[in-house]
Amino acid sequence: MIRTTIQAWRWPLLLGLIVAAIAWQATLRRTPYVLMSAAEKRLGKMGGVNQMAHGPLADSASRAVVRPSPDLAYSTCVFDLSNGPVTVTAAPVPARYWSLSVFDARTDVAFVRNNVESQGAPIRIVLIRDGQTAPPGTTAVLVPGGHGIALIRILVDDRARFAMVDQARRASCCGPVAP
Amino acid sequence: MKPWARYLVCIALGLILGVGVATWQVRAGALGSGVAIGPWVSGTDLGTTDQSARTRAVVALRGLLALPAREARYYTATTDDAGRRLEGRCRYRVIGGTLPARWWSLTLYDPAGYLTGPGPYSVGSAILPPAEQARWTVLVAPDRQPGHWLPTAGQEHFDLTLRTYLPDNAGRTSPARDQLPSIRREACTGEEGA
Repeated sequence: MIRTTIQAWRWPLLLGLIVAAIAWQATLRRTPYVLMSAAEKRLGKMGGVNQMAHGPLADSASRAVVRPSPDLAYSTCVFDLSNGPVTVTAAPVPARYWSLSVFDARTDVAFVRNNVESQGAPIRIVLIRDGQTAPPGTTAVLVPGGHGIALIRILVDDRARFAMVDQARRASCCGPVAP
Repeated sequence: MKPWARYLVCIALGLILGVGVATWQVRAGALGSGVAIGPWVSGTDLGTTDQSARTRAVVALRGLLALPAREARYYTATTDDAGRRLEGRCRYRVIGGTLPARWWSLTLYDPAGYLTGPGPYSVGSAILPPAEQARWTVLVAPDRQPGHWLPTAGQEHFDLTLRTYLPDNAGRTSPARDQLPSIRREACTGEEGA
């Protein structure tokens, strides 16, 4: 009786284990895309797509992105390259640290550069996806998936200086490459 | 039971098991759990294509838009030096020194990873006077403390995240235990002798 039961369930159980392994990997691999897409939607509501949005300093009401740093002023550009390349410019600001980073749809970093590396000069990049080209003389950044988030971080040592930093960062921008 | 029904049952159970285990792994995972240094956990492959599927999923949940190690190293603690879960009703003395980075900050988060209460939310090297840079103390407690204080803001449990920006050696190597802050529990409300 037991032997018969084992024989009857042997192959179904093996198939179940294979399905479990596939479902396990698929869930792990899909999770970053789902969470990134949700973040793009939340941040997109602040400033739209292919536009730079300048957020306030993080506090206990901040829910756009998990684990926000209260020491940093964030500017975000949710980008979608479906209609062509997008230019992102990070303007210099009076801060000891600022950086521009680009995250693809899988949450991987496609680009990062800070004010030390740029020696305080503006950072200007053109985001492209497979099959697109950037204008000659520009820094092209290939973004797998064709959408994601560009993020400017600015260190705000003293919250009293935020207004000055905020005004300076308004020169940063994001938008389609001019034809 | 008919043979096709056995296959159907096992496929359904396999799906539930696979999705359930993955979900549990992601929810239970700590940000950058690749390296443990005392109570701090960190990782060197955050944001890179080298990270595993599990690490990438945990980072997406716990620290979306985290920078790669060459730009910043993140150290997260959910326990004190003795391995006890950080509790909001307790007072902790966090003692550190010069960290191997251009600047750093220590931030308190609720267990979901958000700032809590009216602040202050962080203490960082930018606000420390030169005399304290080499040895500093932050008190983490529910009530106001003298010196540098991070309030637990009514949370039952909390996490601490230490960010070190532009780390030495491009973040490729992890600091020694004595280079990262210690977290000592001193007293808890509701405990004898507190």
